[in-house]
Amino acid sequence: MADRTPDTGELTYTRVFDAPRALVFRCMLEPEHLTHFWGPAGVSTPLETIKVDARPGGVFETVMVNDSDGSRYPTRAVYVEIVAPERIVWTEPDSGVTTTSTFRDLGGERTELQIRQANAPAGYRSPEARAGFATSLDRFAAYLEKLGGSR
Amino acid sequence: MTVADDRLDATFTALADPTRRAIVARLARGDATVNELAAPFDMTLPGISKHLKVLERCGLISRTRRAQFRPCHLEGDVLDTALSWIEENRRVWKERFDKLDEHLRDLRRAPSPRRKGSNQAGRFTRKGGADG
Repeated sequence: MADRTPDTGELTYTRVFDAPRALVFRCMLEPEHLTHFWGPAGVSTPLETIKVDARPGGVFETVMVNDSDGSRYPTRAVYVEIVAPERIVWTEPDSGVTTTSTFRDLGGERTELQIRQANAPAGYRSPEARAGFATSLDRFAAYLEKLGGSR
Repeated sequence: MTVADDRLDATFTALADPTRRAIVARLARGDATVNELAAPFDMTLPGISKHLKVLERCGLISRTRRAQFRPCHLEGDVLDTALSWIEENRRVWKERFDKLDEHLRDLRRAPSPRRKGSNQAGRFTRKGGADG
């Protein structure tokens, strides 16, 4: 399955959820679920702002609203691939960032969700960038974070 | 694409190489000469210089004109722009995951006759309002 998506998973975020794969998959695709978690802390994503046209070429749009000051952050993406209940791929035309969500059934109603962000930013597209970033960019960032005030 | 985006692209491209990341990590601890930077690597000085030029071009490092040693200096602001992009993304996804976890808990706590024993998520009763 991995051969159907570009192998440019430079930044990955993984979490295991205590829920069956089909349900986690639906959460990432259905506005009624997305509205509950799409905005990070302190940010809401009202149901009526979420547009999901779940097919390749269909839109995935949201407006995240800052709870404290009401600022609005529209996001706009287009689905590239949807394979229930395994994989959702969308790309953001403005930034070129491609996000791949992979759902892995761990058994016992547990599901691993992995988010991979590729082509972000465009410089990532070079083979050199892919090789260098493959696993270590976020660790590199974490390392420099730790160095903190020394620069 | 804006100038800032181009800059960010160049920064990420520069950071895509493990040797260059190591150089940046070293410079995060303080300025260093080319010789000092080359020491930990099995590389010729011209090899290191090539990497330094890439880092210099995107503005990540600067080299003073004084003396032949020309110590390299890390431009923290340029690096911070790239790092904050990564950090911001990481934060957003972590918080989304936290909320999703909570949402899934709510769903599975909600009374639904079809919930138990059904491995396909099936239908569920949405719990009113309360999520963090």
